[in-house]
Amino acid sequence: MKKLSEAKNGETGVISAICGDTRFLSRVTSIGLTIGCPVTVLQNERKRPILIFSRDSMIALDRGECDNIQMGGDKT
Amino acid sequence: MSTVQTKETVIALLGQPNSGKSTLFNGLTGLRQHVGNWPGKTVEQKEGYFTRGGVKYTVADLPGTYSLSANSDEEIITRDYIAGGKADVVVILADASQLERSLFMLADFAGIETTAVLLLNLMDVAQEQGKIVDAQVLEKKLGIPVVPFSATDVKHYDGFYTALDRALSERKTLRTDALAERYRKLEGFTQLEAMMPTQGMGDYAPLWLAAKVMEGDAPVTARVEELLAKEDRAKFRQLACAVKDGALHTGQCKFDWIDSLLDRAVSGKKRFEGLSKFDRLATSKRWGKPLAVAIILLGLIASFIPAAPFMIVGSMLPSLLTPGLTAGLTAIGAPQFVIGLICDVGVNALYFAISMIGFVFGITLVFGFIEEIGYMARISYVFDNTMAKLGLQGKAIMPFLVSFGCTIGGAAGTRVIDNWGQRILTIALAWAVPCAATWAIVPMISSVFFGVWAPLVIVGIFLVALLHMWLTSKVFGRQLVKEEDRTGIIMELPPYHRPKWGNLLRYVFGRTKDVLIRALKVILLISLIFWLLSYSSDGDVTASVIYKIGAAIEPVTRIFGLSWQTFLAFISSAVSKEAALGVLSSLYAGTGTIFASTVGAAGQAANLGEILVANISPAEALAFIFAVTFNIPCVVAVASTYNETHSAKWTVRIAIYYICVALLMSFVVYHVAALFL
Repeated sequence: MKKLSEAKNGETGVISAICGDTRFLSRVTSIGLTIGCPVTVLQNERKRPILIFSRDSMIALDRGECDNIQMGGDKT
Repeated sequence: MSTVQTKETVIALLGQPNSGKSTLFNGLTGLRQHVGNWPGKTVEQKEGYFTRGGVKYTVADLPGTYSLSANSDEEIITRDYIAGGKADVVVILADASQLERSLFMLADFAGIETTAVLLLNLMDVAQEQGKIVDAQVLEKKLGIPVVPFSATDVKHYDGFYTALDRALSERKTLRTDALAERYRKLEGFTQLEAMMPTQGMGDYAPLWLAAKVMEGDAPVTARVEELLAKEDRAKFRQLACAVKDGALHTGQCKFDWIDSLLDRAVSGKKRFEGLSKFDRLATSKRWGKPLAVAIILLGLIASFIPAAPFMIVGSMLPSLLTPGLTAGLTAIGAPQFVIGLICDVGVNALYFAISMIGFVFGITLVFGFIEEIGYMARISYVFDNTMAKLGLQGKAIMPFLVSFGCTIGGAAGTRVIDNWGQRILTIALAWAVPCAATWAIVPMISSVFFGVWAPLVIVGIFLVALLHMWLTSKVFGRQLVKEEDRTGIIMELPPYHRPKWGNLLRYVFGRTKDVLIRALKVILLISLIFWLLSYSSDGDVTASVIYKIGAAIEPVTRIFGLSWQTFLAFISSAVSKEAALGVLSSLYAGTGTIFASTVGAAGQAANLGEILVANISPAEALAFIFAVTFNIPCVVAVASTYNETHSAKWTVRIAIYYICVALLMSFVVYHVAALFL
């Protein structure tokens, strides 16, 4: 398990935990990120939102917010 | 008159960003649109109309949001509109090329008992990707009409209309049993559901309400608690508080339900998961920003191509119309005052308005194109960190860059910003960006007064512009962009697709026509006021009202470092920035009337530089440069601002703010400069 913000470019895994207030949970859920959902990290550069691919879509996520998302395991 | 038959049918469009909602809205209603604001809210309200088979339909384009939670005013307005019984039918849009994610809106809607239709938009894009979507399978599972669709293809809206008729006659609501089954497996859900008002609340069924309570939705929880008997409230609160991370659990149920829907309904290839070559460049840390800036600047130049014919025609108007009109009106014995009114105010306002729409047309086309092909989201992404410091979306960089060319285009370009409050804030900041007209006056005045030091003045202007933008974002930001909306970016970057030219042009033409009429009104009004103030029957400025006011308040303008002449030139520069020099020439050298100089119809004295140096002190000149640069950009920019904000209140507020700040700047610059110069 590691923070999504620490994942490397091209790394693949599943989301294992999402923490945060109600508002944050509802925002990430509505864009398709839930626990157990497969993700691929497309681009993770310092001082930039992180680009991921999940549920058939490319999504940009704020870095700070990604600290609250944990990624783990390999896509099964 | 029977109220039943004449009652118009209301269609509400619901969909996530990039689902093609606006395209459908424009396709259905054409130019019959009305844009305003939801009462008391900084959220745009768009309504349009169309008639079919003698029935009038009202289409409400609800704000594009990712869900129906209570995260923003947009979401609350959207869901309350739907559940409040205002809409006869809700059309839910999903992106057929990304159903897995974009059906979330449908899942979040599930449990609202309003008649609904599901539109699988962007079917053409899905097909290009090799996906096959079976609408029949989905329809069977959902119980409401499901239409495969392409909103850009206006000629083939038949499937949509048929589904609409079916929905309105059958009045079916979305089947939720499979989703409910999943919800009820969550701990505490059934107990909560049992406590919901049995009749629901408006169109919100107990299922939807219970799910929202689980998600920690504050407005719903409060309303439900109010409706409960006093003795039940403690138990309800206990149940609601016991839920941890409810949104995650219901979210999992929703996506699980979506996956079950798509089972056997979607086949074919999965989308490629990596970044395309272009995207690698477009989102790269090193090249992303320069590429975006280059594309925007290219777009700015390209926008002059369609704009040029309008501008040429516009600029020919005064010389074409004025002599004939003057002769004609004189022949029928019209008083001089009326001739002046029609020829000076009327013809010039028309000239301004036509030149303006040319530019608005060009910018709308180019920006619309960048948005349509999907590149806009990349610009938002690369400039997110920079613009967030001002409380804005990354996209705001576009209007700012365009404002270096012309503030009119900058204001028109804010159309791409989907949040009304952020759009107004972007315009308010864009006014501070020095436009091309600034460079027609500042270098000349700086060089005659400061010689080799002139470049320092220009550097100073850039620094002050940045400071001004930062300050303005603080002044207006709090009211326009709420704290809770200043959260980090969570946004989808849509796949690139080919532009649909017909669709784009229809949208651009529609908007341009709308802009012309509204802009003309604003320009006419301000020109008229300015003309009346500067009118004198014999052309002598000292007979005009504006002179009398200027001369009377000169002791006051002196505080700001301006004489009555420079003050009048400052006021004129709010009508047209280029006017600043012409008016000084008119006042010091007697070249034409103030109004003619302002609208650029009078020449300037050849030795204007010497005349200025002889009459104005260096400190006053410097104060004047800053006052004019940061004054209201021009009357047409005001009109353009009014067009985009559709708020007279905010337009006037920004205008007054700019005059005050410009004078304040003049005051500071004059008194500081007077110490050294």
